[in-house]
Amino acid sequence: MRKIIFQLIVTIALFFAVWFALSKVDWMTIFKVEQVSKTTEEKLGDLFWDLINESEKVIQNKKITVPLDSLLSRICVSNDIDQSQVKLHIIEKDDINAFALPYNHLIIYSGLISASENESEISGVICHELAHMELNHVMKKLIKEVGLSVLISITIGNSGPDIIMETAKVLSSSAYDRNLEKEADIKAVDYLVKSNINPEGFAHFLYKLSDNESQLVSYLSWINSHPDSKERAEYVIEYSSDKPKNYETILAQETWDELKVSLKE
Amino acid sequence: MISVRRFDYKPGEHEAEKASNSYVMSLVALIAGLPIPIINLVATIGFYLGNRKGTFFVRWHCTQALLSQFSLLLMNSFGFWWTMSIIFDTELATNNYIAYIISIIIFNLTELVVTIYTAINTRKGIHVEWWFYGSLTNLICKA
Repeated sequence: MRKIIFQLIVTIALFFAVWFALSKVDWMTIFKVEQVSKTTEEKLGDLFWDLINESEKVIQNKKITVPLDSLLSRICVSNDIDQSQVKLHIIEKDDINAFALPYNHLIIYSGLISASENESEISGVICHELAHMELNHVMKKLIKEVGLSVLISITIGNSGPDIIMETAKVLSSSAYDRNLEKEADIKAVDYLVKSNINPEGFAHFLYKLSDNESQLVSYLSWINSHPDSKERAEYVIEYSSDKPKNYETILAQETWDELKVSLKE
Repeated sequence: MISVRRFDYKPGEHEAEKASNSYVMSLVALIAGLPIPIINLVATIGFYLGNRKGTFFVRWHCTQALLSQFSLLLMNSFGFWWTMSIIFDTELATNNYIAYIISIIIFNLTELVVTIYTAINTRKGIHVEWWFYGSLTNLICKA
């Protein structure tokens, strides 16, 4: 019996030793896994963005784009995120919505900016979407929702515009997995704190929209696609309660006011 | 890993053929069952049940062939569900995953070679005992 146990232990140990030894080899580089997935992500992101760019009106007004770029810049610099990799697009649309596309395309609807009372609210949403990008949630969600085969067929041009549009809708109007949302919220708070932006603004934005949900249900895409806003606001507050509170404003009040006025024009 | 031993008696031609078939069966089941690992276990159990009233030599080798499937079932099932979670869930292909898949390929290939070797030798009436599984079979399969 002891011989059998000894042989069993040796066999199991041998398996784990082989696994451990093999895991020391950089297979991801050898098989070019990251390179392939990056190319796929790049192609998908550009395809989705081209489609949105053709069908929606993109805001080019500097009074709107520059302040948002400033917010994004502060967040990126404070959190060691390469801002040149983030492509911010502002779309003229009343829906309160923001979402991330593959290849770091960040789409914000003007409706969401209008619904924000101050820079910390919109910064919270930007941080949340940046967190989805940095944590690779965008591709994870796409693979889960539509499958790897569909994504690959899109990138090699085997899918029609209808399929591309439907796939893009998965990102713009449906929720991430509950755990991924929470992970992105927590990461967003970290980003905000490091950028010296008050995370309470983000929580307030969630509270505010969840209160108005019944009246504005058709416009609240961001909230509809991010369920349990109240619960999220609560854990955002709880998580940020013990963080350092040396907050400061990034935009001058006139710049913010000008931005809001420009949105109404 | 494997050793040729003297069996308690000299098996007849018919026994050697049946005992050898248990490995051929597990070999076929292993190939068919690679995508869904439970298939090879079910197939080998079926063959084992069909021969459990056979002679000692046949029973012994059917048992060794069956037992050897369990470790593959565990390893392959884990690899199968890990792969499924990468394709359909939010898991990502990592270095550890690739290393695991290569490990199970090595173990599957080793078992494949050993199984073929054992099938050939058992067919000639030679008794082959595997590392661990041979000892375990000796423990549970009595004359």
